[in-house]
Order: sequence, then structure tokens, then C-alpha cells
Amino acid sequence: MSMQRRNFLQWLVRGTGVLAAAGAPYGLARVLAPAQPPSRVTKRPQRRTLRPPGALADDAAFRDACIGCGLCAEVCPPRCILFHAREGEADVNTPYIVPEEKGCILCMKCGEVCPTPALKAIPFTKADIFQQVDMGVAQIDRLTCYPWVDTGVCGACVLACPLGTRAIGFDFANLYRPVVKPDCVGCGLCVEVCPHPSLPIRVVASNEGTVTEHSVQKIGLPTHSPQGSGPGGVGGSGVLPF
Amino acid sequence: MNEITSTLHPVRRPWQRHLNKLRWLVLSLVFAMLIFLPMVSLYQTFAAAHGYDLLSPARQDFYDLMEALTSPFSEDPVSGLNGIKGTTWSGNFFGYQLSDPLAVVGQIAAGFEIYWPFVVSALIPLLATLLLGRFYCGWLCPATFLYELNSNVAALLRKSGLNFGRVRLDRRLKYLVLLLGLVLSGVFGSVFVAMIYPPAIIGRELYYAIALNGFGVGMVLFVLTLLFDILVARRGFCRYLCPGGALYSLLGRYRLLRIRRDVAICNDCVKCNSICEFGLNPMRDDFGQECNNCTACIAICPTDALGFTTAMHDLPDQGEGHLSPHFRRTGGVAS
Repeated sequence: MSMQRRNFLQWLVRGTGVLAAAGAPYGLARVLAPAQPPSRVTKRPQRRTLRPPGALADDAAFRDACIGCGLCAEVCPPRCILFHAREGEADVNTPYIVPEEKGCILCMKCGEVCPTPALKAIPFTKADIFQQVDMGVAQIDRLTCYPWVDTGVCGACVLACPLGTRAIGFDFANLYRPVVKPDCVGCGLCVEVCPHPSLPIRVVASNEGTVTEHSVQKIGLPTHSPQGSGPGGVGGSGVLPF
Repeated sequence: MNEITSTLHPVRRPWQRHLNKLRWLVLSLVFAMLIFLPMVSLYQTFAAAHGYDLLSPARQDFYDLMEALTSPFSEDPVSGLNGIKGTTWSGNFFGYQLSDPLAVVGQIAAGFEIYWPFVVSALIPLLATLLLGRFYCGWLCPATFLYELNSNVAALLRKSGLNFGRVRLDRRLKYLVLLLGLVLSGVFGSVFVAMIYPPAIIGRELYYAIALNGFGVGMVLFVLTLLFDILVARRGFCRYLCPGGALYSLLGRYRLLRIRRDVAICNDCVKCNSICEFGLNPMRDDFGQECNNCTACIAICPTDALGFTTAMHDLPDQGEGHLSPHFRRTGGVAS
């Protein structure tokens, strides 16, 4: 018996060694690969997916905790929770929400059923939701939104918000211009109802602010100064050259 | 003859041969449940939206069907059909959260921390495994349902003259897969075993297919395992590769419920060995930790020599069955 066990252990060690050796090149390549070079294009990704409410703030920790059982999606009343079924590499089989298609109604049932620490159970009260839910924050592009560019009256996002005036309200000066407040939890219902085809409202990470900053302000434009000072210097001051 | 067999009274328990039918019933029910639950989830959404008239005709038919099926049990589909949710990987069963022990082990390996409510949810399956052994593999696993049907297909193919699927590997390979799966979970930081564990795949993919946008990538892996079972080794994935099977085998090593052969009425017909999905040797008392108590050998035994006992260990090899031609001719002297 002990002989068998020793054989087995030897065999196990040998097998692990062979597999480790076989996997080493891939592992090394992965570890040594340079980080993704910072892109000059500051255009935000078209679709930032959200985690269900109550998700761990650190996405890596969320992936570790989620076992992909699908319970959260099964109890979700509007079925806004989708799964990375075919794509998403390390995210595979983890839940996400696409607010453009369907926003979260903040019913908090997903956290209730989640067996793992991935989704925290949050009581279904307004105070707890404001305090604990952090899916992101809605951000409005004031160069696109109909009332902000004076091409109409709308207010769909304000009406759709389940949290009321603490999360989104109207501008003081113009009663149709929506203004997101920092208390917004990022459920995405406003994105779902926004009638503008290019969706000037979208949910971003909560540290990105509630008003869209435009890329021209960030990277600046090549200045074509009449003096010809250098080959197309980049205006670092963050202001347009006019 | 050794003493053990002489003190053992041959007790025939013919009712035990029907346990295999019960097992098939349970397997079918679990599988049907995994199809039915996503349908219920979908139906609940439609019902909660109060939008019957807005549904497409196909979805209206679906709604009517689900209404007909569930109306005897609950008047209010939105809140009345929440008794069972989830899959065999992790689910909510009438208020009790139950999880696969492998899910807990994999999750701990991925995150390096223990979340006690989740561990507690695996306690009942864990205790059941300690007592009943690898019963999950034989009695509940939705993949087993498909794999056993697949074995029948393979048997048909073999009968038609295609000679493959007879490879025998080392059964201990699956312990390596378990170890490797847990290590990879720790290294890459997502529950890796969940991606390669067939029952988790089946539960998830059925949900994706029925309630979401169609099968995901796990289905590819599952079809590959079906092909592996047909072309390389019978029940090859369960025998040699399944990390869950490895965990359950380890946990069920000293199980209390085991199948035992009554040597006095065994006639060495080898039917048990050929029916055993896991390639064990019941005719020579070699069950070991791999046996999943599936009762297929009990069902096929023509003399009812196999049956359940409660014991911590298997008997050592008891030799030839006393009803075998050779034993009767030699009087057991040769053995």
C-alpha cells in the first residue's frame, strides 16, 4: 500500500513537473509581456459594462469570488444581468449589465441570492442603496444631450431615475437640462431610456465625474502658430488654441 | 475460505436491483429541472412585465405553455415560483443555499480567503459525500445523465464494428487535474475549475441557451468531452479527468455506504465488471474510493449477490464466487 502511495506521489510530482515545464513558456511570456501601451485615443470604450449592484469594488477580487453559478441572473426581475458566455477571457462566466440595453432596477435580489462574497447583500432601502451600491456614476455629455444643446426638451433620464432628486435633477438655470449628482449609484436606467441615438448619458466609473470631458480639452491640438515654433508642438495647457 | 465470508450470512435483497431505476428517475428529474428552471425564470420576467400582448407569437406560446404547467402550483408566478433556483453548482432549494464542495474549494483557492456563509452552504453536500461517497457523480450530476446516454451511443457504435474507445488511462490523473485546477485558480485569479467541471458547465449553458443569448464557450468543451468518451475511453472524462470526481473520491474514501459482493451466491458471470461505468472490478471486490454507488452492478447481477452494506472498508478479494462453475468443480480448493 505504502509502495503504491509512494509510486503515486512520485508520479504526481513528475506529472506536475512535466506540465509546469510545458506551461512555463506561456507563463513567462505572459509575465514578461509589456503592459498595454497607453493609447493616444482618449475616446472612451463604446460600452463599459457594469457589475451587478453590491459587487466587490475590486474587479479582480470579484472574478476570484464569483463561481459563475448564474443565480443572480436567474432571480433578476428585468433580466438585465447577462453573462460573459463566449468572450471576456478572465471574465468568462461572470455577470455584467449593459445599461444601454437594460438597466438595473436596484431591487437588490441578486445580492440576496449570491452564495459567494462576490455580490454583497444590501437591504432594499434607499439609505442603504445610496450608501453601499457603487456601480459607477452617470455621466452626461453636454455637447450632445438635447436640452444642453438647446434642441429640445426631454428629461427622460430624470424621470427614469429610481432614486429621485438626490441622484439626478435639473439644472437651476434651464429646467430641462439634466444634472447628475455625486450620489448617483450608476444603475443605468437613465441610459436605457435616453432617446438620443448616441447616448449622451452613460455610466462610467465613479471617479470619472458626472460631466463628460472632451478629448480636445485633454490632449490638446497641434498648434499651427504663425511663428512656426517647432514641428507642431502640442498645446499642453489643455485649452484650445483659439 | 477466509473467516469473513463464512460468518457472512447470504442475505438476498432483491429490491435493491430496482435502485438503478430510481437513480435514472432522479437523474432525469435533475436534468429536467435544469431545463425547467430557466424557463420559469423567463416566464417570471414576462409575467412581471405585464406585457403579454407585446410578446412575439412564439413567446406568447411559450407563456401559455408555462402558465399551463405552473398554474396548478402557484397562482402568482412572479413571487410564487421561487422555491428552487440555480443549478447543481450552486442553488437555492426551498430557502436552503446548497453549493458544490468543489465550488467552495475552487473559490477559496482563487481568492485565498474563506467566506463562511458560502462554506456552510456546501456543508450538507459535504456530509452526504462523507457518508455516501461519490453519490453525486452517479445520482445527481446532470452531466452523468448525458454521459451515460453517450456511453450507450458508444456501445452501439462499437457493436456496429467501430473499434475504438477502449483506452485505459491512469485513474489518478484526475487528482492531478484537481490539483492543477486549484493552482491555476490561485494563479490566474478566477475559479478555473468552474470552467472545466461538466455539471457546472451543463447547468450554466442550459441557462444561457434558454434564458439568455444561446450556448457559451463551455458547450464546446462539453462536446469535446462527449467525443473523448466515445473515441478514447468509456466515461473517460469522469474516470480520468473530472476534478469534481477527484474531490468526491477523496472525500468518499471512508464512506459508510458501500456495495459489497456476497461471495456465496456470486457466480462470476462478469456482468458487473462490464456494466461498471467507471471500469472497476466488483466481481473481485475492488470498489475503492472511485465507486459512485450508482447501483448499475446491483441491477445487472443475476444472482443478487451485490448489495449495499454499511462499512468503512471494502472486503479484501474474496476469491471466486461459490456458484461459479470452476468453484463448484474444484470445491474451492484451487482458490
